[in-house]
Amino acid sequence: MKKLKVFLVLSLLLGSLLFAKDADLRLVSEVGIHTEAWKSLMDDFTKQTGITLQLEQIPYANYFDKLMLSYTSGRNDYDVPYVSGLWVPALAKAKYIYPISDITGAKALNFKDIPGISIYTIDKKVYMIPFYQELGGVVYRTDLFNDPVEKQKFKEKYGYELQPPKTLKQYLDIAEFFYRPPDLYGITLMGQRSIFLVTHFMQRLWAMGGKLFDSKMKPTFNSKIGEKALENLKEFFKYASPACKNYVFQDALTEFENGKSAMAEIWTTALFYANNPQISKVAGKASFVGFPRTEETLNRKLPMLYISWGFVVSSSTKDKQKAIEWIKFATDPKNLVKVAPIGCIPARFSALRDPELPKKLSWIPDFEKALSNCIPTPLYPLIPEGQAIINNYLAPNISDYLAGIKTAKQALDDAAKGVYELLNNAGYYSK
Amino acid sequence: MNKKINPGVFYLLPVMLFIILIFLIPLIYSLGTSFTRWLLLRPDLGVKFIGLTNYIRLFKDIFTWQTLGRTFYFVFGAVSIETIVGFILALTLNTEFKGWKVVQSIILVPFMMAPIVVGFTWKFILDDNFGLIPYMLKAIGLGNITKDVPLLANPKMAMPMIIIADAWEYIPVVTLIILAGLKSLPIELYEAANVDGATSFQKFKYITLPMLRPVILVAVVMRTLTSLQVFDSIYVMTGGGPGSATETLSFYTYREAFISYDIGFSSALNVLIILLAMIFTIIYMKIIRG
Repeated sequence: MKKLKVFLVLSLLLGSLLFAKDADLRLVSEVGIHTEAWKSLMDDFTKQTGITLQLEQIPYANYFDKLMLSYTSGRNDYDVPYVSGLWVPALAKAKYIYPISDITGAKALNFKDIPGISIYTIDKKVYMIPFYQELGGVVYRTDLFNDPVEKQKFKEKYGYELQPPKTLKQYLDIAEFFYRPPDLYGITLMGQRSIFLVTHFMQRLWAMGGKLFDSKMKPTFNSKIGEKALENLKEFFKYASPACKNYVFQDALTEFENGKSAMAEIWTTALFYANNPQISKVAGKASFVGFPRTEETLNRKLPMLYISWGFVVSSSTKDKQKAIEWIKFATDPKNLVKVAPIGCIPARFSALRDPELPKKLSWIPDFEKALSNCIPTPLYPLIPEGQAIINNYLAPNISDYLAGIKTAKQALDDAAKGVYELLNNAGYYSK
Repeated sequence: MNKKINPGVFYLLPVMLFIILIFLIPLIYSLGTSFTRWLLLRPDLGVKFIGLTNYIRLFKDIFTWQTLGRTFYFVFGAVSIETIVGFILALTLNTEFKGWKVVQSIILVPFMMAPIVVGFTWKFILDDNFGLIPYMLKAIGLGNITKDVPLLANPKMAMPMIIIADAWEYIPVVTLIILAGLKSLPIELYEAANVDGATSFQKFKYITLPMLRPVILVAVVMRTLTSLQVFDSIYVMTGGGPGSATETLSFYTYREAFISYDIGFSSALNVLIILLAMIFTIIYMKIIRG
């Protein structure tokens, strides 16, 4: 009897190996809520088209490494990876991904309906179709901002109405006003040496009219504006909890969700979590405003931190037509609106303007307003060296400044020197 | 004349193959790539032989020397604490008291945890909002230490915290090694010492310590070599910060390999780590033989 059981199990295993069929399309993604949003469309797609899908999900921390290992080893592991827009230049330049605009049927994807399409366009070819997008800005507590007592006290102290900040001065005033430790802090920031810390600097640099690079890719972030931006950032840490100095995204989100701060300088994804009654103590009380400007730059259209994730097609994919079919289905405006509440801000103008969407996500009009008033700018320069510039040069030096090891000028000059050498070695200045 | 092949060679073949495949080939490959410019994100630039350029860059850069200094700080700090505390624990556990087997098992728990879990655990323990250590510091009137800057964001305190987390994880293994050594000491020497009227301290100084020297050195060598590779706790707890206060050679290598994707330069860093490991091993072996 025992031998029979063993034989049956082995036969099943062998049979499953012999007769198992690879799915028509192999997808790969990080583990995240916007992945959950399009995952919910997979069964419908298969029912509608007969094309089978298989998905592998990898934690974000390891995702890019695993994708790179798959490509550099020459294996054909994934047909349609779901990637960050930031990775597209590196993947495209190395020819690991195929230009979607060159695939038959790509016109049906309606590129004009996509915000920031230029970010994914290299040498006039579109490499990624975004599914999801978000902006970096300020998430704030509507209950505190709308409270009549708070409003009155604020007006008495600062001489103007309490409202979501439009200028950096208002932003700092509000952070100071709500700084009531240990129960409430004015602002939540992400102070650990990481890309998150650098985003605080970049937002301020852009808000003040500064730039990371000039037209010849020479660093300009170590200008006087850069120094001011860095010093301004340090001011804000005075009204944050001391623990913020070691926060990354998840820590900052947790602090805000627990109602410990009036504002959080974070991204719009946070709203899905902050407004989730199952995990957040401030559910229904969180909204968003684009990153504030200075008085001088208030009416200018300036860069603002912009993040998007979308679908690319691996160069090694055998059936690129099927890939286009999936991408078309997943990024159809109707489907984007349908799955938005799961955790996705649609990356199509038509979906954002759909009257049904604000009924599901009340802060969408604020998001659209911020998006239309800014130049969507990726987290790091869209060159293969972009990640290294942020993580290996800006992050350690900004962290050095905040820890009191360097002055703002020293920190930015050291970062600029390292970046210059990096880009020089990679041949950017020899053309 | 036919030379007879020693049949013992065939028994050694599997392990030699293992060493060649798992150790020698990657080592030689890494050494080879350290003489190239190979940027994985720039396949258009190709793989180019550049001789010693990576090593010159490595040793000319003041950051490398600072990182070496931090690495030695970490290794010396962690190994010292682990050896001293491990030794004391081993001496304590060498006497059989009620429940000593249970205590022995509990002591092993930190070592059973994955290093990344240890990192997260200590990040929570040191968290300024709800961590145990800041709470205890405030309770005993030392709240000023973390008042404005949390321990992990303090450039002077961050590395000691990483050392403590590492020591917490690896003290059990040092304890076990030394305990095994203690249990193997010949009892007759102690009996003879008792007959001669030796005090406990004299027995410890003239019998236990000298006899345990090789065992302690094995533990020290093992921990030194593994400490050089510390990564998980730094990655989770501080990301190498604040500034570069907790960036060791292995973390620097990770940045160059998996953020810059500079395979040539990160291979050179790897070779440096291997050289350091070899130097430490040679020094310790000389001490053992001496």
